[in-house]
Amino acid sequence: MNAVEIKGLSKNFGPKQAVCSLDMIVPMGAIYGFIGENGSGKSTTEKMICGLIPKNAGSIRLYGRDNTDPDVRAKLGVLIESPGCFPNLSVFENLMLEATNLSIPDAEREVVKVLKMVRMEGAASNKYKNCSLGMKQRVGIAMALLGTPTLLVLDEPLNGLDADGMRIMREVFCDIIKDGTRSIIVSSHLLGELQKVATHYGIIRHGKMICEMTAAELDASCRTYVALNVKEPNRAKLILASKYSRVEEDEAGYIRVYDLTTPEEIVKFLYEHGVTVSEVMSDKIGLEEYYIDLMKEGR
Amino acid sequence: MMDTQVKFEKFNRSKRLRSMVKLDLRRALRSRTFYIILACALLVPVVMTVMLCMMDGQESVNQQTGEITIMHGPESVWQSIGTLPSTESSESAAMGQMDVMAMCNINMAFMGVAVFVCLFISEDFRSGYAKNLFTVRAKKVDYVLSKTLVGFICGALMLILYFIGSLISGAICSLPFELVGDMTVASVALCMLSKICLMLVFVPIFVLASVAAKQRAWLSICLSLGGGMLLFMMVGLITPLNATLINLVICLVGGTLFATGLGAISATVLKKSSLV
Repeated sequence: MNAVEIKGLSKNFGPKQAVCSLDMIVPMGAIYGFIGENGSGKSTTEKMICGLIPKNAGSIRLYGRDNTDPDVRAKLGVLIESPGCFPNLSVFENLMLEATNLSIPDAEREVVKVLKMVRMEGAASNKYKNCSLGMKQRVGIAMALLGTPTLLVLDEPLNGLDADGMRIMREVFCDIIKDGTRSIIVSSHLLGELQKVATHYGIIRHGKMICEMTAAELDASCRTYVALNVKEPNRAKLILASKYSRVEEDEAGYIRVYDLTTPEEIVKFLYEHGVTVSEVMSDKIGLEEYYIDLMKEGR
Repeated sequence: MMDTQVKFEKFNRSKRLRSMVKLDLRRALRSRTFYIILACALLVPVVMTVMLCMMDGQESVNQQTGEITIMHGPESVWQSIGTLPSTESSESAAMGQMDVMAMCNINMAFMGVAVFVCLFISEDFRSGYAKNLFTVRAKKVDYVLSKTLVGFICGALMLILYFIGSLISGAICSLPFELVGDMTVASVALCMLSKICLMLVFVPIFVLASVAAKQRAWLSICLSLGGGMLLFMMVGLITPLNATLINLVICLVGGTLFATGLGAISATVLKKSSLV
């Protein structure tokens, strides 16, 4: 059984098709990185999963049940766009309200626990409206974590978080999926951060799922490259282009050769053509570059 | 991935509704609007009665026609609750004479509840809390029922406080507490109970206007007052000071019908529209 199974999901806003026959599978125990450009339909899909907007077509099943089932919906944690808090109430009171909403028996203890998890116990008495952006985001995550939800749907949860906040979130996410039944859907533009925790990926463009893969599959798909620092980059590029099919200069001025080859072979080849190499390294492209490449291909 | 079966706790309607009502009451008790509205319900009759008593017997001259109008203060403490049965008039007739006490009596509480319900519901959408609420609450009817119940409780409290305020103001202004005509203590109690039941007619209208307008509080207030205005006039007629059991039954049946019908429409509006 999968945590989320979506088939043929569509949503129109007037004449604009926001989501178009989208299929998506989030396995149990997965941290599903949901990636796409602005306006690609990520938030709309997440809102439909949570039942916040009606769908035009398709089916959404959560843990084998329809997403309108009140029992399964009661175990959803959500942070979409911004945390839903009352500005004039304190952080603690906002969380207590949500605990009441979730019928949590020992609400106060649970609230203290989630506040500790997001390192906000010191700001519990602060009015929500007086919190900084990062603090608000932490409150939103704490709210989503209340009542040990089976499925967490987080839209840009890392926005506004500092480095420590992001590290804490990574730890929290990994802790949640430990038992293998709870799952997380995270959409974020901070692909480097996402890559550190995601076990699965879904890439959406213009409302269509263009690619779904596991972290291992992504790793296998990410090409290796050899990066070179040379004194005459333009000449070196011309020489390398005569032998290798893909040679590019990156933002830092390094020349990248993407063909399957070894650094020794390239250095030797350049040396034979009178180009001195001062630095050489071999690396793999990350999720960010993989994603950018994928988007370029589609254009 | 492992193929584990996940068990979900069963949430029946009463459990869902109980937690929803608890949440709304908790929120209401922590909102300033709730206390301001209740304070108004208590203070308005006092201020109104004292002012009208002070103006009693004063003459005002129309500068253009030279016509002299003598201001009449309240004759009885019960005028804050409704039009006295022994006076010449039905409430509509009194309104024709611009009787201030007939227009600005306890029935104003119905307008106060409109403001409270609209602000209370719009705050859910404005703050974004609706996202949390509707994610874990698949059944929209729970939300509508809970809001109707909280609105009803607030309305009932307003009516009771207005009643208390009227008695206090009567005592301050030394107005007679005598029951006139066919008024009895029971009929006054039935009048009050009828008004409370009538809240079940009005609150669903305000809830419907609010869920339709969502975060636009101004629109929901306009819709509620506009829609309610059509019915405000009948409050005085259907809940007179000499009310009988029939008045109570009519209000109760009407309230139940309105709450059921409009509640179903409100739930459909929520189901069919975007909640964020």
